[in-house]
Amino acid sequence: MSDDISQRLQDYLAAKLGAPDLLVSALARIPGGASRETYRFRAHYDRGGKTVERALILRRDPPASLIETERSTEFRAYQAFHALGLPVPEPIALELDGAALERPFFIMEEIENCAVASILSPDPYGGHGEKIGEQFFSVLGRIAGADPQKLGLSDFDGAREPADCWRHELTRWEKVIVEDEREPQPIARAAIRWLRRHPPPPAQKICVVHGDYRTGNFLIDSEGNIRAILDWEMAHLGDPLEDLGWALDPLWSRGDANTAAGMVKRARALAIWEETSGLKVDPAALAWWEIFASLKGAAIWISAAREYTEGRNTDPVNAFSGWFCLAFHNKVLAERLAGEFA
Amino acid sequence: MNPEVDQILNLSAQQLMGTLAPLLPTGYAQGAAALTSFMLILSAEEYDRAADIRVADNADMRALFAELAPRIGDAALKQKLEAAAASRDPSLKISALDETNYELRRLLIALHAHVETLKDSRDAERRIWGLLTASAQRRILKMPGS
Repeated sequence: MSDDISQRLQDYLAAKLGAPDLLVSALARIPGGASRETYRFRAHYDRGGKTVERALILRRDPPASLIETERSTEFRAYQAFHALGLPVPEPIALELDGAALERPFFIMEEIENCAVASILSPDPYGGHGEKIGEQFFSVLGRIAGADPQKLGLSDFDGAREPADCWRHELTRWEKVIVEDEREPQPIARAAIRWLRRHPPPPAQKICVVHGDYRTGNFLIDSEGNIRAILDWEMAHLGDPLEDLGWALDPLWSRGDANTAAGMVKRARALAIWEETSGLKVDPAALAWWEIFASLKGAAIWISAAREYTEGRNTDPVNAFSGWFCLAFHNKVLAERLAGEFA
Repeated sequence: MNPEVDQILNLSAQQLMGTLAPLLPTGYAQGAAALTSFMLILSAEEYDRAADIRVADNADMRALFAELAPRIGDAALKQKLEAAAASRDPSLKISALDETNYELRRLLIALHAHVETLKDSRDAERRIWGLLTASAQRRILKMPGS
């Protein structure tokens, strides 16, 4: 199969880049989540009499996706934030009809000699946690502070009015739960009702929300530098606190409430975010978005469980998400909301 | 039974990680093998406790329904609660326990939503959230290696 993709990819890129001598080598599938198949490869071609060798990444739709996401959204987010100077890989090509590789795909540069910090690793940051955490919340603040209009992303899906952000997202994820649950979910259902009865204040502004800004979705080098923010496929317009709530979710810190994303003290993370975004953290509003984040997590894991159970995507990450992660977020939600009635 | 199922799953996970995974290409294949090994370890944990969790969940929900039914004015809901409170698990097979568990959970959702509409419902809501918390804590899984 890889050989087949390799030849097709070579034919596609040769035409796309106007390099008939182009060769694709070292194509190999790498971990990249369940929502896209991810491959690394090298492209060699002649340009102006010089041999060019580029390390590239192919992201191709799987037969079934964990969460249905708009490919062009992800590609355009890469374009916009790469141009803004954030650590984001340069996007190269997007093919929505997918004729060349059977399914829609896009290609971007590979950030080499880096690794993803996995929540499954006992020491995901190799002793650089605080340094990485400061960059992590600084970059998130820059995303929140950016103007969607200037980025050219003001047509993204999402809320248009600050007062609508919470309702738009809660409705979106409630729909996922209702459509995808294969067993009754009393905690998620009760959390939805609680969130509707206790809405947060309107957003301070409408920003581009990354949608999945967390541990596991960025690349770090051996010196503890964040080199790339990845997985923009759930990007949308919304409340800047949405990404912050998701980044602070206890799943990414293994339940340590004092350490943001398992890297840096929570108060420090919030101070950095405020400084780089130019926005303020309203504790009550953030508390709502943190509960929402755990509900959104539950929705994603419920969807993963369905894909796995019904055999559409049997990647083991879907089994892990639909079981371990859902159990984790059910506990977080139950304990958090039980506290409201203590 | 010896070897027990949980031992088979744990040793299979070790075999997969220690012996087989290194023979696979690096990258996706080794990552998937590692995660599959994790799933075997979690399955071993679940093997021992699965029936216990479901029996405890079902017993807790029945006790809650018996406790709250007298406070419910909606006759149809009250009748369902009383019937469910008096029901029993027909078998200790996981599939049978799950079937009952799902029925009871559906009723719990209806009860919770109803209670939220009542005046002076704080005690009942606290009681329901206590049950939900206990159930969630019962079902939490340990990260392999932690």
